[in-house]
Amino acid sequence: MSTSNEKLLIDIGSTYFKVSTNASIEQHFRDFNKQILDDLIHKCGDTVHRFEASDIHICSSANGGLSTLIIGLTHSYSLKYASNIAFNSGINIIQSIVFQNIEDYSIPSDVIDVVIIVGGIDSNGGLFDQRLSDYIAKLDYSNVVYVGNSQDAAAIASQVERLVVLPNIIDDRLHIVEQHLKEYLTNLYQQDIEGKEDIKHLYQITGNQIYPTPYVVNKSLPLIHSSFSVTEPFILLDIGGATTDVHYSKDLVSDNIVTEQGHDRIVFKKLGVYKSRQSLIFTAENNEFAYELLMHLKVTENIYTEYSEKATRILMQLAIFLVLCKMSHYRPTYVTLNLLAINSIVFTGGITKVLEAEDIEDVVAFFYRKILNSDHKPVTVLDTNYDIWTLGAREHATCQ
Amino acid sequence: MKVVTGVIGNDIHVVANRLMDLSLNARGYEVFNLGVNTFLEEFFDAAVETGAEILLISSLNGEAEGWSREVKILKSKYKTLDRLIMMIGGNLTVGSGNARDIVPRYKNYGFDLVCHQVDLNTGLDMLEDYIKEHRQP
Ligand code: B12
Repeated sequence: MSTSNEKLLIDIGSTYFKVSTNASIEQHFRDFNKQILDDLIHKCGDTVHRFEASDIHICSSANGGLSTLIIGLTHSYSLKYASNIAFNSGINIIQSIVFQNIEDYSIPSDVIDVVIIVGGIDSNGGLFDQRLSDYIAKLDYSNVVYVGNSQDAAAIASQVERLVVLPNIIDDRLHIVEQHLKEYLTNLYQQDIEGKEDIKHLYQITGNQIYPTPYVVNKSLPLIHSSFSVTEPFILLDIGGATTDVHYSKDLVSDNIVTEQGHDRIVFKKLGVYKSRQSLIFTAENNEFAYELLMHLKVTENIYTEYSEKATRILMQLAIFLVLCKMSHYRPTYVTLNLLAINSIVFTGGITKVLEAEDIEDVVAFFYRKILNSDHKPVTVLDTNYDIWTLGAREHATCQ
Repeated sequence: MKVVTGVIGNDIHVVANRLMDLSLNARGYEVFNLGVNTFLEEFFDAAVETGAEILLISSLNGEAEGWSREVKILKSKYKTLDRLIMMIGGNLTVGSGNARDIVPRYKNYGFDLVCHQVDLNTGLDMLEDYIKEHRQP
C-alpha cells in the first residue's frame, strides 16, 4: 500500500482519462466499448490497487455539465445574480428571460436541466402571475427552483409541480446571497455526474466524492503562480473533447458584483474537438471570420469532413478562436471579458497534447488582429503536463 | 415608503449621496442606495425589485441632462413603474444655469420633482409635500 499521505488522482474526461501519483502522470485514450471502471482497471490496475479507497480522488468532466433557463424580474439584479451563481456552479445558461415580457420569448427545444425563477426582495411581493406557470408548462425540464421573494413562494409552488423553494438570492439591501442556490446547483451537477456515463461504478474504488473537473481546476487558480510564470490578469482555457471551460480573473469583467472568489469560470458545453465536434463545426460555419482563419492556416472547409491528425489540429485552433470570440464583444454570450487587458493565456486539457506553442500563438494573434484590431500579445503558457489539474486536485484532496 | 437613490452615470461625487442616505433614513424612508456610478436601467430595475414608490436621482458632474433625455423611452419599457415618483437633484446643467429654465425642461423629460442646486433638506421637504398632495386616498 502507498505511504499514508500519497494520493492517487484520477480525471475522467469525455475522450481521455488521466491518472496521477506523486511520481508520475499517465494519460489514456478511453475505450468506449468498455465501462469506465473496467477500462481504468485494465490500463492502470496496478497503480489503482496500490491505494486505499480513501486516498483515491476522482473528478470528471465526461458529461459536460448542466443547462439552465433563468426567469427573473430585471437584468441588473435577479438575472445578473442568478447568472453569476450559475456560472460559478459550472452551469450553462441557455436562456435568460425578463418576466414582464415572458410571452415574447420562444420555448427552447432542448431539455433544460434546471429552471431558475428569481425576483424581488422579501418585502416586495405579488410580482409573478399566471404567465409564469403557463410558460413553464411548455418547457421540457428536469428540475425547477425558486429563489425569489418569500411572499410569492407559496403561490408559485401551488402552480408549478416539484418546485424547490430556497432562500432569496437577493437580500433586503439588494445585494447578492450566493450560498443556497450555489449549493443546490453544485449538488445537481454532482448527481448528474454520478448518475451518468457509468461514473457511479467508480465509487467501488474511491471513498471520496467525485467532483466536476472544472470545480477542481478552479481551485488551483490562486496557486497557479507556484508552477507557472503567469501575470494577472489571465484567462485559462481548458479545451477538451466535449466542452471548453474558460476560467478568468474577476477584474476582467466590468460588473460590480462582489463575490468571494477571485476567479470565475464558464463552460461552453458544446465546444469540443471530439465528442462535440459537430457543434464546433456548426459554430465555425456561422462565424464569418472562421473562413479567413482557415485560409490563414492554409486549409479549406473540406477539413471539416477529414479525420486526421491535421484535422484535429485545425479544429483545436478553431476552438481557440471561437472561444475567444464568445468571450469578446464580437459575439457576446453571458460574460464579456476585457481581453485587451489580459497579460497571459494559459492553455490546458487535450489541446496541449496536440498543438505547439507557435500554433496557438498564431491563432491568438489572428484573433486580436481581426476581431479586436489590436497588436496586443498576451503571453501564452502551455500546461503540457496537467500540472494545473494536479495542483487543484491535490489541494482539493488535502482539504477533504 | 421605499425609495431608491444613487448618483447617475459615471459620476463619482459621493458626499451628497451619503448625506441623502442619512437624511432619508432619519425621515423614516426605507432606503435602497445604489451609490455612485449607477446607470439609468439599474435605477428602474432596482425600483422593480424592491417595489419602491420613489426614485431619487442625484447628479453633480454635469451628466444629468444626457441621461434624462433617455428617461421617457426607457421607462416606457417597464410595465410596473407608472406610479413611480421621479425626483432629480444636484447640479443639473453644465456650468451655470437657472432653475426657471431647467425645471420645466426636466419635468418634460419625465421628472415630477426637479431640484437644481437646491439644498437637500429643502428638497426632501418638497418631496413630502408632493406625496401629501398626490398620494392621499
Ligand atoms: C469634491 C468635488 C470633487 C471630488 C469628488 C470626491 C468624491 N468622491 O465625492 C473630485 C475631485 C473627485 C471631483 C471630480 C470631478 N469634479 Co467635482 N467637485 C467637487 C466639489 C468641490 C464639492 C462636491 C461636494 O462633495 N460637495 C458637498 C456636497 C454635500 O454638496 P453637493 O454635492 O453640492 O450636493 C448638495 C446639493 O446639490 C444637494 N443635492 C445633491 N444631489 C441631490 C439630489 C436631490 C434629489 C436633492 C433634492 C438635492 C441634491 O444636496 C447637497 C447638500 O445640500 C464640487 C464644487 C462644489 N463646491 O460644489 C465640484 C464639482 C461638483 N465637480 C465638478 C466637476 C466638473 C468635476 C470633474 C468632471 C472634474 C474633472 N474635470 O475631472 C470630476 C468628475 C469626476 C466624476 N467622474 O464624476 C463640477 C461640476 C460642474 C457641472 N455640473 O457643471 C463642480 C460643481 C465644480 C465646478 N464648479 O466646476 N470633484
